[in-house]
Amino acid sequence: MFGRLLGILLLTLAVEFAASTILYELSSRALIRDDEAHRLAEHLVIARKLISEQPWPERPAMAERLTTNRYDIHWTGSADANDPAPGPERSPVRDKVIKWEPGLANSDLHVRLMPVGRRAQLFGALRLPDRTWMRFRASAPAYEEEESGLHRILLALLPATILLVLSALLFRHTLRPMGMLARAADRIGRSSGLTLPEAGPREVRRLIRAFNAMQARIHQLITDRTQALAAVGHDLRTPLARMQLRTDSIEDPALRRAFGTDVAEMEAMVGSLLAYLGGEDDPERPVRTDVAVMAETIVNDAVDRGGGATYLGGDHLEAEVRPIGLKRAIGNLVENALHYGHRARVSVAADAGTLVIRVDDDGPGISEDRLEEALRPFSRLDPARRRNTRGLGLGLAIVVRAAEAEGGVLHLANRPEGGLRAELRLPLR
Amino acid sequence: MTSPIVVLVEDDSALRTLTARALQENGYLVRPCSSAPEMWRALEAGPADLLLLDIMLPGTSGIDLCRALRRESDVPIIFISAKGSEMDRVVGLELGADDYLAKPFGTRELIARVRAVLRRGGVENRQTERRQGIAEFDGWMLNLPRRELTSPSGAVVDLTGAEFDLLSSLIDHPQRVIARERLIELSRARLGDSSDRSVDVLVSRVRRKLSSAGKEAPIITVRGVGYMLNAEVARR
Repeated sequence: MFGRLLGILLLTLAVEFAASTILYELSSRALIRDDEAHRLAEHLVIARKLISEQPWPERPAMAERLTTNRYDIHWTGSADANDPAPGPERSPVRDKVIKWEPGLANSDLHVRLMPVGRRAQLFGALRLPDRTWMRFRASAPAYEEEESGLHRILLALLPATILLVLSALLFRHTLRPMGMLARAADRIGRSSGLTLPEAGPREVRRLIRAFNAMQARIHQLITDRTQALAAVGHDLRTPLARMQLRTDSIEDPALRRAFGTDVAEMEAMVGSLLAYLGGEDDPERPVRTDVAVMAETIVNDAVDRGGGATYLGGDHLEAEVRPIGLKRAIGNLVENALHYGHRARVSVAADAGTLVIRVDDDGPGISEDRLEEALRPFSRLDPARRRNTRGLGLGLAIVVRAAEAEGGVLHLANRPEGGLRAELRLPLR
Repeated sequence: MTSPIVVLVEDDSALRTLTARALQENGYLVRPCSSAPEMWRALEAGPADLLLLDIMLPGTSGIDLCRALRRESDVPIIFISAKGSEMDRVVGLELGADDYLAKPFGTRELIARVRAVLRRGGVENRQTERRQGIAEFDGWMLNLPRRELTSPSGAVVDLTGAEFDLLSSLIDHPQRVIARERLIELSRARLGDSSDRSVDVLVSRVRRKLSSAGKEAPIITVRGVGYMLNAEVARR
C-alpha cells in the first residue's frame, strides 16, 4: 500500500513536471519564434549599415525610410554610455538575433519585450560603428496576445485535470480490496462467510489474510458451540426417552399426566433449540413443493389436535422452497396463532412474483414497539405471557431463519380489526 | 400363536431395560443387545420377527449398519434415532427400514409402531408388500420408500402418514373396491394418527390433494362398500 501510494505520488509529480516543461517550451517558443528573430536580425543589420553610411544630417531621414509597418527605426545621435532602452541584458530574442547575424555581437544590442496596450512589442537599441545609438521597435506577432488570458489558464488546468482523473482511478484501484473487505465484514454472522482472494498492495494482502483467518476462527467457534449444543440436545433425548417410559408405569393417573406434560415440554424445548441451531436438517436443498397443500396439511393437523384452524387459500400453489424448514416455519406460526390468538386463519397466495403465506389470529396482538423484539431469539414478550409460554422463545426466530434461507422476510403486523397478522413473503420461484 | 421375537439394539443400558420391559409386558419376546456385534450374534442365534435398532450406536454408523442388515436379511427394521429429523427419517426409510421411532417415545407409541410393522410383515405377503419402488398413476408418482407424492407437474405434495397409508393401500389394489372397514383398520394401525377421525375425512383430504386444475382425483366412492382407485398403476 505504502509503495503503491508513493508510486502514484511520484507518477503525478513526473507528469506535472513534464507538463509544465512542455508548456514553458511552447510559450517561450511562441514568444520568440525563430523566423521572427531572423527577420528582425536582417532588418537591423541592413538598417545599421545604411544609417552608418549616411552623414549625420541625413541619418534621421534614412531612419525614417527604413521604418516599416512592423519595424520602427530611430537614430538618437548621442553616444551615451546609458542604454536608451533599458531592459534585461540577455533576452532570448537578442541571443537569436546575434546567432543569426554574428556581426551584431559587438553592437551593444539590447532587446526586451514590453506590453503596449493589449499587444506586446519588442523594444531595443544598438550602437552604430561610431558608437551612436540606433533605437528600434518591433510589433510582436499576433499570437503573443492569444497566449494570455483564458487560453493560458486552460492550458495550465489541463495537466491538473488529467492528474486528478488519473490519480482518482489509481487510488480507486488500490483501495478496491478494502471495499471487498468491508462487504465481507458486513456479512460475518449473517451467512456462511466467504474467503477473500488475497489481492492488492502488500498491506491490504496482510489485512485480507488476517481477516480470512479471523473469519475462519469465528466460524470454527460458532460451529463448535453449535455442535456442542446440538450434541447436548440429542443426548438429552435418551434420558427423556427413559423418563417417558418410566412415566408410563406411574400408577396415579394425575401424576402420570403431569410427568407426561413435563417430558413433552422438555422435548419441545430440545426440538426448537435443535431447529434453531440448524443442526438437524442443514443445509436443506430447495425442492419444487406444493406450498398450498403443505399449509393445508398443517391446518388439518391442528384441527385433528382440536385447534381452531382454517385454511382459506387455493388448493395448489407450487414453488421452489426448502420443505422441511418452511413446514416448520408455517407450523410455528399456526401454533403461535392458536396459542395466543385462539384461532388461526391460514392462506397461501402468489402476488406478483412473491409467495405470500399469511397466518391471522384473533388474539390481543403485540404492541407496535415490541414487534421487532418478538422476532429475536429467546425473547418472551411480557411477564404475563411468560407464565403460559412453553418452549424457549425460539419459535419466531426459527421462522425468521427459514424466511432468510428462502431469501424472504417475516412481517408481523396488528390487524386493524384486531388480532395479529404474520406474513411470510418469499420470492416465488 | 407364539410370541413375536424382537431384537432390541440400544447402547443406553437403562433405556434398553425400560424398552425391553415395555415390550415384554405387551407380549413380545425380547433379545436385548448393546452393540452391533451383539446384534449380529442375536440374529444368528435364531429367527427374529423384528429388529428395533438405535442408529446412534457408538463406533458404528447406523446408516451403514442398516445397509449391511438389508443385504443379509429381510427382517423388518424399526430404527430409533435421537435426531428426529425429517432427513434422517427419509434416509433410514430409503435404506430399507420399515418405520422410524424418534426419541423420546412412550410405551403406547412404541407398541403401536411394532404392532403395525409386524402386521404389515406378517399378515400380508411380505414379498409383494415390501415398500419399494415408485408407483405411477394418472401422472402422479408415489415414491414408496420415501413416502413422497409428486404431482404431474413435478412438485412434492405433502402427505401425512395416514394419508400415505390410505393412498398406498388404494394403489396396491388399483381398480378394485377396498372396504371402508379395511381402510379404518389400516389407518388405526398408526398411533400418530390414532385420533378417531373417520376414514371419509381422510379420503376427502387425499382427494383434495390429488385434484388438479379442473380435474377430479381418481378416487371413486362406492356407496355402502368403500373406495376405489380409478386409474392404471405402473410400478418401477
